[in-house]
Amino acid sequence: MNGFSEFLELHPLFSWLYELLKSTGLQDPWLRVTHYSILGSMMFGVLSLIALFLVWWERKIAAHIQQRFGPMRHGWHGWYQTIMDAIKLLQKEDVKIALRDKPVFFWAPIVCFVAAFCVYVVMPFGEGLIVADLNIGILYVLAITTWTVISLLMAGWGSNNKYALLGGMRSAAQIVSYEVPMAVSILTPILFVGSLSMNDIVLSQTGPIYNWFVFRLPFGPIAFLTFIIAGTAEANRTPFDIPEAEQELVSGYNVEYSGMKFAMFFLAEFVNMFTIAAVAVTVFFGGWNGFQFLPSWLWFLGKTLLIVLLLMLFRWTYPRLRVDQLMMFAWKFLVPVTFVNLIIAGLFKHLGWYW
Amino acid sequence: MALRTEEFVVNMGPHHPSTHGVCRLVLTLDGERVKKVEPVIGYLHRSIEKICENRTYPQCIPMFDRIEYVTSMSCNQVFAMAAERLAEIEVPERAEYLRVIMLELNRIASHLLFYGVTAMDIGAYTPFLYGLRERELIIDLFEMTCGQRLTYNYIRIGGVSHDIPPEFVPKCREAMRIIGQKMADYEGLLNENPIWLARTKDIGILRAEDAIAWGVSGPVLRASGVKHDLRKDDPYSIYDRFDFEIPVQKNGDTFDRYIQRLDEIRESIKIVNQALNGLEGVEDDKIKAKVSPNFKPPAGEAYARIENSRGELGTYLISDGTKKPLRVKTRGGSYNQLQALPLMCHDVLVADLVAIFATLDVIMPEVDR
Amino acid sequence: MTRDELKDAISNKFKDRVTHLEAGKYDPLFEVKADDLVDICQQLKDDPELSFDYLANLGGVDTTEHFEVVYNLASVHKKLRVDLKVILPYDQAEIDSVIEIWPAANWYEREMWELYGINVRNHPNLSRFLLPDDWDQGFPMRKDWDAPDFIRMPER
Repeated sequence: MNGFSEFLELHPLFSWLYELLKSTGLQDPWLRVTHYSILGSMMFGVLSLIALFLVWWERKIAAHIQQRFGPMRHGWHGWYQTIMDAIKLLQKEDVKIALRDKPVFFWAPIVCFVAAFCVYVVMPFGEGLIVADLNIGILYVLAITTWTVISLLMAGWGSNNKYALLGGMRSAAQIVSYEVPMAVSILTPILFVGSLSMNDIVLSQTGPIYNWFVFRLPFGPIAFLTFIIAGTAEANRTPFDIPEAEQELVSGYNVEYSGMKFAMFFLAEFVNMFTIAAVAVTVFFGGWNGFQFLPSWLWFLGKTLLIVLLLMLFRWTYPRLRVDQLMMFAWKFLVPVTFVNLIIAGLFKHLGWYW
Repeated sequence: MALRTEEFVVNMGPHHPSTHGVCRLVLTLDGERVKKVEPVIGYLHRSIEKICENRTYPQCIPMFDRIEYVTSMSCNQVFAMAAERLAEIEVPERAEYLRVIMLELNRIASHLLFYGVTAMDIGAYTPFLYGLRERELIIDLFEMTCGQRLTYNYIRIGGVSHDIPPEFVPKCREAMRIIGQKMADYEGLLNENPIWLARTKDIGILRAEDAIAWGVSGPVLRASGVKHDLRKDDPYSIYDRFDFEIPVQKNGDTFDRYIQRLDEIRESIKIVNQALNGLEGVEDDKIKAKVSPNFKPPAGEAYARIENSRGELGTYLISDGTKKPLRVKTRGGSYNQLQALPLMCHDVLVADLVAIFATLDVIMPEVDR
Repeated sequence: MTRDELKDAISNKFKDRVTHLEAGKYDPLFEVKADDLVDICQQLKDDPELSFDYLANLGGVDTTEHFEVVYNLASVHKKLRVDLKVILPYDQAEIDSVIEIWPAANWYEREMWELYGINVRNHPNLSRFLLPDDWDQGFPMRKDWDAPDFIRMPER
């Protein structure tokens, strides 16, 4: 059994690739650049597939919650529906409104798309499956996810549309506000790890299952809950999807985008959702740690998809909050709770009451 | 440079997901706050009143289907009632029972649609499908009876067009039982959801005296605490034979308007069940009084009004003794409710405006006609 | 109060200022002079016995001889209904607004102004409403209105 899961581990692939490149005689700056480029492209490919899968999965989950079937025509239960959708979007005309702010309008979806994928440079997908183990890993994640707000503001401004502008302003306010509770709730586990590296965070949770931060009472579960709430807001998902609130702002910041540019926003949204889930798993659910019978990357993927499922259930159950209620919730509830939680965690750490 | 803010004007509609058709709301916004709302209508004006003046009386009924397509049965009924009052036609008892069954089924279907659409406007997607799922049962019943799913042309002057098929009654009872059970699902999804409560409680309050002065009627008026329902206050057809309550709420906010409709579905289920029982007791098979296709009511005028799912639906019919009506004037509940919208939208946020608009349950063809 | 009692009550209250019309088949129908309209409406609303606080419907009529304006009034609490009718000759198509009494009249009067060309005095906002903003083909609800694509049903 152990041999089987060992066999399925993917990290030998990474070192094999490195050896292969080295054998061609490349010297160090170029060796590293090539190595990282290949790994980055692989990650990009895998994530694109995951995003496509998530689109399909979300549609299926929504459909089954609502007692219908969802996509059923393309393949078994419509499994390649999203691929066909992507092909359709690629073929569509790229409608450019006359009064747009040209460079801003053009760059907004690209910034959004790139920012969504950049996070995965430091994400440990499995044992050794990490593109670059930066020593400021989690800080990097927080920094990059905030990029999204710039792209949404750009989209809102560049479209020269009042709904889009309102959507952009809303997203700026929302993401900046929820960044605070999100960062503070991540700080709680960091306090115990003593390192910002994603790999170290995962390694500190090895061993029995109660080593996962979510099970470290009393501050672990609270930190997880505040993180997942703030994360939902960061990913612009219902009940916090006010930047693109369809019924109020038609579609918010992406109202004027069509074709592939729209698809970039759309895919980036799903990648962002996956990011939130992946960070939650890494920080709170032991990352790729699991039991022996499955390889580590499958554990990571499985746990992440479970969190994604949770986010999807939120979306298809709850109504949407109002913009002022949203800000009130962030500043008057989440921020105090996370700070108090951090102080309690610090107290426990100081007294040594932790495992 | 000193910072300053500026109000800006947004045209919400005519094509907007939450204006339920082609209503245009000219909003003056201060950031997210709505300072002024001005409804602009007329995008769906088909001049049905003028067309009716150019039709014979029986030909007017299909036109009335289009006045309010969500509850077409009640539009048929109101015109048929006005014509019957003019010509003093006695409607057979079986037809009266069938009419009541259809009207109440249509009310339930309309309120189920309201439930779904309102939830969707406040951002909850799932209730929409739940509401439409049960609405489908009712639409199937209509299809079984008259072959149509939206514009029925079923209630005619002097009676109804077809008798129900034999399998209608058991299927109808089954549908009522299912909807009665599913009410718990509907309420469970939203009634105690904290986000739903935060979005709807104390939003868009319409006081009772304002509601009356602005001619608001139906569930919106009753949600403001006025116990006014034409089925009880001015019983038409055979509504005085049934035992049902008129639910009333207190505050007149968005939540009350929502809960009011759910309460009304329950009462309508009661009425349908009683009417189905009553229908079995009717021995005469006659479903239509004799009305010639060249129907010419004597000169005169009559105002018929019924309580449909959006309030008082009225038709003022003037006959000059020829085969064409001289004047057909229709008023629908939506017209006055849309007119009263600015009253409720004082200094609210855009999101609240959408919620308020949704709970008024305005349907544009009825406003524009 | 039954319909007959209501008819008598209104007839007694206003004496010869109102005329009962037999044309009203269901609710009592009274004819009112155009100059008298606002006063009578105000009294109908203020009378504690009647308290017609609800304007259910308001519409213009073109009978090919003159204009008529019909008011369908209701009392929400007393559960009463009455119809008022004002007859306006073609050359004096002008009536006072009842917005002060029932704000609900706003859109109805605007609609009547637009479709029949009956002028409404003291109305705060008489502007294009149901018809397009650039409409220039007259008043479509008048009986003599005609347009190239408007085909009248033949009198068989």
